[in-house]
Amino acid sequence: MPEVDVDEYSDIWVFIEEHAGEVAPVSWELLAEAKKLMDEKPDDEELVALAIGSDLEDVAEEAIARGADRVLVADDPIFEPYRADPYGKQFRELVAERKPDIALIGGTTTGRDFAGRVAVPTHAGLTADCTQLGIDDEGHLEAGRPAFGGNVVATIKCENHRPQMATIRPGVFEPLDRDDTRDGEIEYVDVVVTEEETVTEVLEREVGETADITDADRVVAAGGGIEGDTGPIERLAEALDAEVAASRKAVDEGWMPHARQVGQTGKTVRPELYVAVGISGAVQHLEGMNDSDVVIAINNDPNAPIFDHADYGIVGDLFEVCDELVAALEEADDPQEVLA
Amino acid sequence: MTDSTDNGTESADDQPTRTPPPAQPNYDNTFDAIVVGAGLAGSAAAITMANEDLDVLMIERGAYPGAKNVFGGVMYTPTIRDLVGMDGAPIERYVGQRRYAMLTEEDEIGATVNIGDWHEEPHNDSFTVLRGDFDEWLADQAVEAGATLITETTVTDLIRENGYIVGVETDRPEGALRAPIVVLAEGGNSLVSEGAGLKPAPDRKDVAVAVKEVIEFPGDSAQVIEDRFRLGDEDGAAYHYFGEGAAGKSFGGAFIYTNDDTVSVGLAYRIEDSITQGINPEKRLNEFKSHPAVAPLFKDARTVEYTAKTIPEGGAEAMPKLVHNGALLVGDTAGLVLNNGVHLEGTNMAVESGYHAGKAVVEAFNSIPATERTAGATAAGGQTARADGGMVIPSSHLQSYPDRLEESFVVKNLEHYEWLIHRVTEDKELLFEELPAALADAAAEYFAIDREPKQVHGARAKERVLGTLGGLRGLVKLGWRYRKIVR
Amino acid sequence: MTDNWTVVVGIKQVPDEDDVTIDPDTGTLNRAEAAAILNPPDRNALEAALQLKDEVGAEVIAFTMGPPTATPVLELAVALGCDDAALISDMAFAGSDTWPTSLTLAYAAEYFDADVGIFGEETTDSSTGQVPPGIAAHLDWAQLTYVADLDPRPEDNQLLATRDVEGGHEVVAADLPVIVAVGYGDNDPRPAGLHRKLYAETEFEPMELDAEALGIDPDEVGLDASPTQVGGMDTADPVEREQEVVDSVEDLAAAMAEEGAV
Repeated sequence: MPEVDVDEYSDIWVFIEEHAGEVAPVSWELLAEAKKLMDEKPDDEELVALAIGSDLEDVAEEAIARGADRVLVADDPIFEPYRADPYGKQFRELVAERKPDIALIGGTTTGRDFAGRVAVPTHAGLTADCTQLGIDDEGHLEAGRPAFGGNVVATIKCENHRPQMATIRPGVFEPLDRDDTRDGEIEYVDVVVTEEETVTEVLEREVGETADITDADRVVAAGGGIEGDTGPIERLAEALDAEVAASRKAVDEGWMPHARQVGQTGKTVRPELYVAVGISGAVQHLEGMNDSDVVIAINNDPNAPIFDHADYGIVGDLFEVCDELVAALEEADDPQEVLA
Repeated sequence: MTDSTDNGTESADDQPTRTPPPAQPNYDNTFDAIVVGAGLAGSAAAITMANEDLDVLMIERGAYPGAKNVFGGVMYTPTIRDLVGMDGAPIERYVGQRRYAMLTEEDEIGATVNIGDWHEEPHNDSFTVLRGDFDEWLADQAVEAGATLITETTVTDLIRENGYIVGVETDRPEGALRAPIVVLAEGGNSLVSEGAGLKPAPDRKDVAVAVKEVIEFPGDSAQVIEDRFRLGDEDGAAYHYFGEGAAGKSFGGAFIYTNDDTVSVGLAYRIEDSITQGINPEKRLNEFKSHPAVAPLFKDARTVEYTAKTIPEGGAEAMPKLVHNGALLVGDTAGLVLNNGVHLEGTNMAVESGYHAGKAVVEAFNSIPATERTAGATAAGGQTARADGGMVIPSSHLQSYPDRLEESFVVKNLEHYEWLIHRVTEDKELLFEELPAALADAAAEYFAIDREPKQVHGARAKERVLGTLGGLRGLVKLGWRYRKIVR
Repeated sequence: MTDNWTVVVGIKQVPDEDDVTIDPDTGTLNRAEAAAILNPPDRNALEAALQLKDEVGAEVIAFTMGPPTATPVLELAVALGCDDAALISDMAFAGSDTWPTSLTLAYAAEYFDADVGIFGEETTDSSTGQVPPGIAAHLDWAQLTYVADLDPRPEDNQLLATRDVEGGHEVVAADLPVIVAVGYGDNDPRPAGLHRKLYAETEFEPMELDAEALGIDPDEVGLDASPTQVGGMDTADPVEREQEVVDSVEDLAAAMAEEGAV
């Protein structure tokens, strides 16, 4: 059992997830949260952004502007697009060489693919899908993740192994505003991977709009109740100037893309207004939207648990209610109505 | 990572006793009988056959036996007690108290029956049960007895050859399975039996709709139930309600049964009424629950389950032919059910019919020499009925089932019921609307507290009832018509 | 490669999430009484494996790491069409987190000399999704996660996969051997055949493999080999809500306006 000398390890690393020059917003969210954790770390430690990809100059600069003290850049065409095996090998070499104490990774599909791969060879402790981070009196990472459907938060620790790794659900933390006056060091590292040793090849890649529901002020979310008809919620979202989101059920059925999934294994949203349409209110979903300011529930089942977690609810056929609500909202927009 | 020589010696020790799965398992003619449906009738038949060493397969469409059964209620258990005993049976409470009440829109007239004997074993063989639990338990008893149960499998059709039923088709891939006997215990919606022409599709008037809710109370639910219904730890109540306040203007009634820590409340009435009068069962049930005489029982209650189903309501006239070449019909499938609010019984008849059907199959097998039970056996008429040469059993060898049933309380009850249902249908308005109203009025009159003497109230009350019934002569006629009810 | 592929499928028994009840008075979850079922995403893993069997004649072997009471999920695998199934069970495995779990399953994939190891996206009882990449890392094999569709290319000794990625999909070719995690709900699992189901439930007994049979040093697995520990559990505070059910859309619109939400 290869236990390690934990004192040899220092610094917090944040994995900057990048696809074709576009950075996943969760990367900046993690930098901001990690910067808070740095307050609990010895002064000589650094907040390090790890950027693996191709043509990363702009990304590296933005990482400094978003809070990193140092950016490690592994820049090579072999890293575009993402593949687990070359990314994994590069990460492994860097960890062996530099011994980071903590490594944080966004809980996206790519982040989960990457984290699971890289945690094993270093015998790191990896906690999945965290929503809370802290550092205890002895300097160990405390990674909080919802358990038992969100009714409890389990705190996971990793005392005898390094690095301490965690994937963090997108949307949980607030990113820092970009500040280009910040100072930091950008360090290009040796690329240790060659194409010959890779065992995978990306033959084709089609990525459309990558919706970001975590930023929206208003969200209209669809559940199993929509039965595949996204029309009503799309019209309601348009009338409310809201982003469309979905429960796991609606995503698993293929009605909505995974990028719009709210809840456990999806994203966390905290909009001013959250309208749950045809969503029963499973705890796994509630986890992802419980911090919304005002929650509205539309469901035809009066016993649906969502009503217990909503400010206002209405029982009825969701297709009718959505369209009537659209009409009512449009009417309210009428200046006559406002004057009256 | 693995040292293969080590594994070689390991597996040499362990593996010889183990046979890996065959590429194409085949169970045609492995079972003596296939039972379609693992409800009460099916399990009773399976237990009876398995007890006599027949290989029995039960095919259940639900995720577990009872999963498709909405009926919570009173279970009459004399046959089950004889068959497998009641040890470990998931009973909720024994029935220690019965109440029969007429409801008008606002009033209640009722009588509570509480017999001392009911509080002693075997508790008049009457228990409240949740059928989901009870059916699962009874199916487990069949498996204990040696039967095989597969679930989540729906029989879609019967396989026929040369006038014999020789197996079933299911909704699964490679879903045909052959066996000498098929026992159809598929319940009230007997689509397979009807599709195969073993019974006619039911008349609309022969079918009732039943809805049920399971209710619980906040806090110590069992204690709340015992307080409200005035019960002890183990005894329970069975309430039956008739009249407009129970089932509206339709032919039927409502019921309340206390379980251990929940209450089953529901009603049953004719689909015909539901169609012609546009009654929504869920709404009707809510009206019943908010009846002034009923609502206090349900204060602060919450619904944990709502279910609805249709049930046959035929009596002896609606009974189809029970035996066919290679097949028998039992339980609800055979129309062996009494269930419409006037008389709620059927579970005991289902068990009884399964038992007699199982006995008949066992006798049929015993009547054919063991040597002839394999390939090449012939039917009574001498011709080989099955293409694969397997055994067949003609309906004549199964006749002891309907014969025994005739002798049993099952058909006697049905005949009794036949008479009752005709009468009740004729007198429907009188019995379900006018009489309850008159009785309530009369009671209000009789118990009115004012300065007039009691005699005056009594006389007026009598007038009201008699007026409704057509005077004294009407009352005598009505009594004569319903004399059999009390025998 | 001329032999038929050997495909192993790792599956797990989990409590049925739909059967987990919340006590309305105390708000605590009751998992102990929930029915034990096959981890739902594993249905998609089994289907993907059986499609490889249909397409290239692969031999499919399912295994599960768990107590003997987990045997029903292996029966289901055989009923669906797997050629055989193994129970991987040893007291030494108790308390394993994802690290030793993926190590054990990696040993199992090697034991069966697998060309392809297929798993579900994640298990519904722990939801980490870390185990399939962990197995690939232990073995230093290629990994394909969030897979929607597989396209076997035995002539090239490759497996092509359509993967879900944020906002779209990609097609990746991986050299064998490879570990696959199938996206939950990304294929349409077949029902079990009647006779196979009867066989699996009445006669089938799984292979049994313990740590020694797999060549695992007991010190490599179990609680002591798990880098993570649960440090504590805190009840999440419920969020206070108005919980007001309104009767009409007009009332709803009015309530939204009052909250300043529109």
